[in-house]
Amino acid sequence: MRHVTSVAGRELRGLFVSPVAYAVLALFAVLAGVFFTLTTVAFNEGILRLQQFQAFDQLAQINLNDHLIGPFYDSMAFMLMLLIPAITMGFFASEKTNGTDELLLTSPLTMWDVVLGKFLAGVVFVALLGLIVAAYPAILFLYADQTAGGPELGKTVAGLLGVVLVGWTYAAIGIFASSLTRSQVVAFLLTLVLLVILIILPFVADMGVAGASEARELLRYLSTEPHLAELRKGVLDSKDIVYFAVMIAAFLVMTKAAVESVRWR
Amino acid sequence: MIEAKGLSKRYGDVVAVDDVSFEVGKGEVVGFLGPNGAGKTTTMRMLTGFVPPTDGTAVIAGHDIFGDPIAARRAVGYLPETPPLYPEMTVVSYLSYVATIKDVPRSGRREAVSRALERCGLGRVRHQVIGTLSKGFRQRVGLAQAIVHDPAVLILDEPTVGLDPLQIREIRTLIRELAAPEQGESQHTVILSTHILPEVEAICRRVVLIHDGRKVVDAPLAELTAGGRTLDEIFARETTRDLADEEASS
Repeated sequence: MRHVTSVAGRELRGLFVSPVAYAVLALFAVLAGVFFTLTTVAFNEGILRLQQFQAFDQLAQINLNDHLIGPFYDSMAFMLMLLIPAITMGFFASEKTNGTDELLLTSPLTMWDVVLGKFLAGVVFVALLGLIVAAYPAILFLYADQTAGGPELGKTVAGLLGVVLVGWTYAAIGIFASSLTRSQVVAFLLTLVLLVILIILPFVADMGVAGASEARELLRYLSTEPHLAELRKGVLDSKDIVYFAVMIAAFLVMTKAAVESVRWR
Repeated sequence: MIEAKGLSKRYGDVVAVDDVSFEVGKGEVVGFLGPNGAGKTTTMRMLTGFVPPTDGTAVIAGHDIFGDPIAARRAVGYLPETPPLYPEMTVVSYLSYVATIKDVPRSGRREAVSRALERCGLGRVRHQVIGTLSKGFRQRVGLAQAIVHDPAVLILDEPTVGLDPLQIREIRTLIRELAAPEQGESQHTVILSTHILPEVEAICRRVVLIHDGRKVVDAPLAELTAGGRTLDEIFARETTRDLADEEASS
């Protein structure tokens, strides 16, 4: 396990000498700004409308966490679905095209050193994206009315944790896809397909085609969306944390198996 | 230092390597010969642990490749057919990364890297990005990568392929030096594969010839060429014998 950080460090340096990391960070920052502005404008319009209708009951219910930060987090989680595949696509695919897999697998490293090293690189990159996301709620803490309906620290942090956990899960899935192919394009598309499937699962469940309610529950449980929603509400339930941990572990185990199977063939 | 015991590799019904055994002693330089597709690369990949053998095993510097794979890999420096390079890294950062994952202790890493740079004549391009180097320099970076952790065993898969005559001579000199070092430097055991016969005559003392996945010759070079025969003739005879036998029997 000593070499996890060496592998991760090289991967991160590789990302930051290529334009991909900067493109993804810049795009994410711009989109976060745009989404935050749009959500804020919509939030203000909503309040104005309620004031015009003198709907004081509903006005009392409105708060920044559920009606501004929450939707913002949701759109950021959606952006992760589009951007993380671009980061992880090369993690294993480019080792194969460079022939450096032959270096890695003939070095005194264990397979877990390699797989966890790659994942750690993904973890660090997603954490950077998380910092960009965090900047916007921070603005609210600085400038918004801190009395009734103002931002709550607990909910905000729990939701941010949710976004980051979603990102780490996507990274594990992207790394798995990258381990299956030599082509970065194929890895990118495969990751996107897997993530889209993961995201539409709750909708499939709601369409009623899934039949038994247990099956519907399972589909919903497998998707990241309901778990992010719980965290957004500020509910820090161990069962949601366990979900993310199990998903990440499952895809990393499959990655290890995929890399090993190539050697045994 | 290297002991291959009945190494076999089958891909489905295709037999790539069939029951190959040989031993290489400390400080020996063995030429691993054979026509293209004879199983040279597969055998080397089995010795380095990149591809697990279907049958048989190997012992590298006293470590079984199945029993203690990490220790066996630590003892090997390996230059694959295509040098395993990260094109976006500089030569120095690449070599220090390799030194790290090859378990060179932190305190000795800088020195290990500068020694490898010096031995492979890379001082001038040390801060250059690998992707911008010429083929000859890339091959040398590949060789530097193989020796950076000062391994007891060197496994080189066609180390001079694609180089110009001058570079070939430099690499050959370097390999000879690695096997018969000056005082104070450690001695390496070398296996190198090639299908360039003069290369074998220039650096190897022993020859292992494989054909169709089987070992057909394993003898000191001097013995083989004792009767005035050239390596060329031996190579031609051994690798076409099957054909001749078949024609004789039909």
